[in-house]
Amino acid sequence: MLTYVVRRLLYGVLTFFGITIAIFVLVHSVPGDPISFYTGMHGAQSLSQVVLAEIRHEHHLDESLIRQYGWWLRGVMTLDFGHSFIDHRLVTERIAERLPNTLILNVVAFLIAALIGVPLGMWSAARSGQTIERASAVTTFLLYSLPSFWVALLLMELFAVRLNVLPLFGMTSDEYLELNVMMKLADRARHLILPVLTLAYTQLAVFARFSKSAVTEVIRQDYITAARAKGVTSRAALWHHAFRNALIPLITLFGLTLPYLISGSVIVEQIFQWDGVGRLYLEAILTRDYPTVLGLSMATAVATLIASLIADLLYAAADPRIRLEAQ
Amino acid sequence: MTENASGMWTLTWRRFRRSKLAVIALVYVGFVSILAIAAPMIARSSKSLIPYGPNDVDVAHRLHPPDAQHRFGTDELGRDVLARMIHGARVSLTVGLLATAMSLIVGSFFGAIAGYYGGAADWIVSRLIEIVLCFPLLFMALAIVAFFGPSVWTVMIALGLTTWTNEARFVRGEFLRIREMEFAYAARASGARDSRIIFRHLLPNAFAPVLVSASFGVAYAILTESALSFLGLGVPLPTATWGSILASAKDFIEYAWWLVVFPGVAIFLTVAAFNIIGDRFRDALDPRSD
Repeated sequence: MLTYVVRRLLYGVLTFFGITIAIFVLVHSVPGDPISFYTGMHGAQSLSQVVLAEIRHEHHLDESLIRQYGWWLRGVMTLDFGHSFIDHRLVTERIAERLPNTLILNVVAFLIAALIGVPLGMWSAARSGQTIERASAVTTFLLYSLPSFWVALLLMELFAVRLNVLPLFGMTSDEYLELNVMMKLADRARHLILPVLTLAYTQLAVFARFSKSAVTEVIRQDYITAARAKGVTSRAALWHHAFRNALIPLITLFGLTLPYLISGSVIVEQIFQWDGVGRLYLEAILTRDYPTVLGLSMATAVATLIASLIADLLYAAADPRIRLEAQ
Repeated sequence: MTENASGMWTLTWRRFRRSKLAVIALVYVGFVSILAIAAPMIARSSKSLIPYGPNDVDVAHRLHPPDAQHRFGTDELGRDVLARMIHGARVSLTVGLLATAMSLIVGSFFGAIAGYYGGAADWIVSRLIEIVLCFPLLFMALAIVAFFGPSVWTVMIALGLTTWTNEARFVRGEFLRIREMEFAYAARASGARDSRIIFRHLLPNAFAPVLVSASFGVAYAILTESALSFLGLGVPLPTATWGSILASAKDFIEYAWWLVVFPGVAIFLTVAAFNIIGDRFRDALDPRSD
C-alpha cells in the first residue's frame, strides 16, 4: 500500500507542475503582446513607452521565459495571483468570498443526484432485460442529452413565469433583510430549488448510468454465479455480493465529478444570477480580467487534482487488486 | 481484408437496423444535415421556401408569436426564428463534426503512440491526459475562445483540444489489445515499418469502436457549442446559432415562449440522436448481441 501511495503522490506532484506549465503556455500563446495581460482593458497603445517598460519590468516580462515561469510558479505557491483588473482587490479574496455560494449549490445538487441516481442505476441493473429497465435506460439517456441552459429556461418559464411559485433568479428576495431568521432560511431555500434541479438532473443521469454498468459488470463475475449456485437467493446475491463491489468503481466517478460540476456551475450560476465562482469566471473572461481567470483556472485544476488523488487512494484502500497490481 | 471488413459492416448494420429508435435517429440526422446544407436555398429571400433570410428584419412583427407568416415566431429584432434555426443547423453540425474530427486526429495520434510503443511513451501520454482532465472543460473552452477571439474556428479548436482525451484512451485500449494479435505480429515479421503497421494495420482495426466514441463526441460538441453561444462566447453575432437564439430568449422569457421552446428542442433532438446512434452502434458492433 505504501509504495502505491508514494507513487500516486509523486504523480500528483508531477501533474501539478504540468498544470502550471499548461496555464503558462496558454497565456503566452495568446496572440499579441503579453503586456495586454497586465494593462487590461486600457490596451497597451494608450500608454507611453516609459510606462510600458515599467509595467514590463514590474511583471518580469523583460526576463527570459524560464525566469518568467519561475515567477509564475512562485506566485502559485504563495497563493498570490495578483489583483483583479476590475476592482483591484486580491484575486484570492474575490474567489474566497464567492466560494461558499458555489459550494452550497453543488453540494446539494451532488447529494440529490447521488442519492437518487445510484440506487436507480442499481435497481435497473437488477431488472436487466425487462421493459421497465429499458425504459429507464432510454430516459437517463435523454436526460443526458438535454442542454442544461435550456432546462433552466424551461424551469424558469414554468415555475417562475407561468405558475409564479418560485423566484426567477437571484439568491435572495429584495425584502430579504427585513425577514426574520426562519423566513430568511426559507427564502434562501426557495431560491436554491431551480438552480439545484438544473445542476442535479445531468449528474443524476451520469450516476444512474455508471452504477448500472458497474452492477452489470459485477453480476457477470464468477463469484456471483458461485453464490447463486450454492443457494443464495438472487436478492441476497445482489445485496450482499454485487452491490457492495459495484460501489467501489463509484469512488472514481465521484473523484472525477468535480470538473463537470464546475462546468455546470458556470452555466447555471449565469442563468440564475447566482454569485458563485462559475459566474465570477465568466465575468472575468468577458472583461478580460486575466489575473482572476488564471487564479480560478489554477484553483479548480488543483482542486480536481486533489479530489482525484483522494479518490484513487480510497479506491486502492477499498480494492486490494489495485495496489497489488501497482507493485 | 476488404471482403472480411465489409462482412463486419453488413453484420453491424443488420444489428443496428433492428433498433427502431436508432433508425429514427439516423433519419433525423439525415434530415437536419439536408436542411443545413440547403439552408442558403431554403431560407434566403421572399422567393425561397421559407420567405425570410436569417438576418431579414420584419420591424412590424417584433417578438411576434408563431402564426401562418412566421411559423416559429420572430425574435426581438423581428427576425424569423425558423429561418435562423435552419441556418443555425449549419453551425451546429459543422462545429460538431469538425471538432470531433479534430479530437479524433489528436486523440488517435496520442492513443496510437501510447498503445503501440507502450513504456515511456505510454507513461508520458497518460500524464498528459491526467493534466488535461484536471481542467473543467467549459473553463478551458471559454478561455481559448475568449483569448483567441470567437469564431467558428476557435470554437472548433477549443472543443477539439479539450475532448481528445476520450478518443486517446479508446485508441490506446484498442491498440493494447490488437497489437498482440497475429496479424500485427505478421506485419512486424514481414519487416513493415512502425508507421505502416500503425496506419495500415492497427488503426483500421481500431476504427469501429473509435467511431462509436466519435458519435458521442459529436453530441457533446454540439451541446458545448450551443452552451458557448448561449454564454455569448460562441460563433459571433449576427450568425444564427441555436445557442444564441436561446440567449436572447433568456431576456424575453416572460413574453416569448417560442424563443425558448423551438431552438431548445432542436438542440435536444440533435444531441439525443447522435447519442442514440452511438449507443446502438456500440451494441451492434458487439457480436454477443446476436
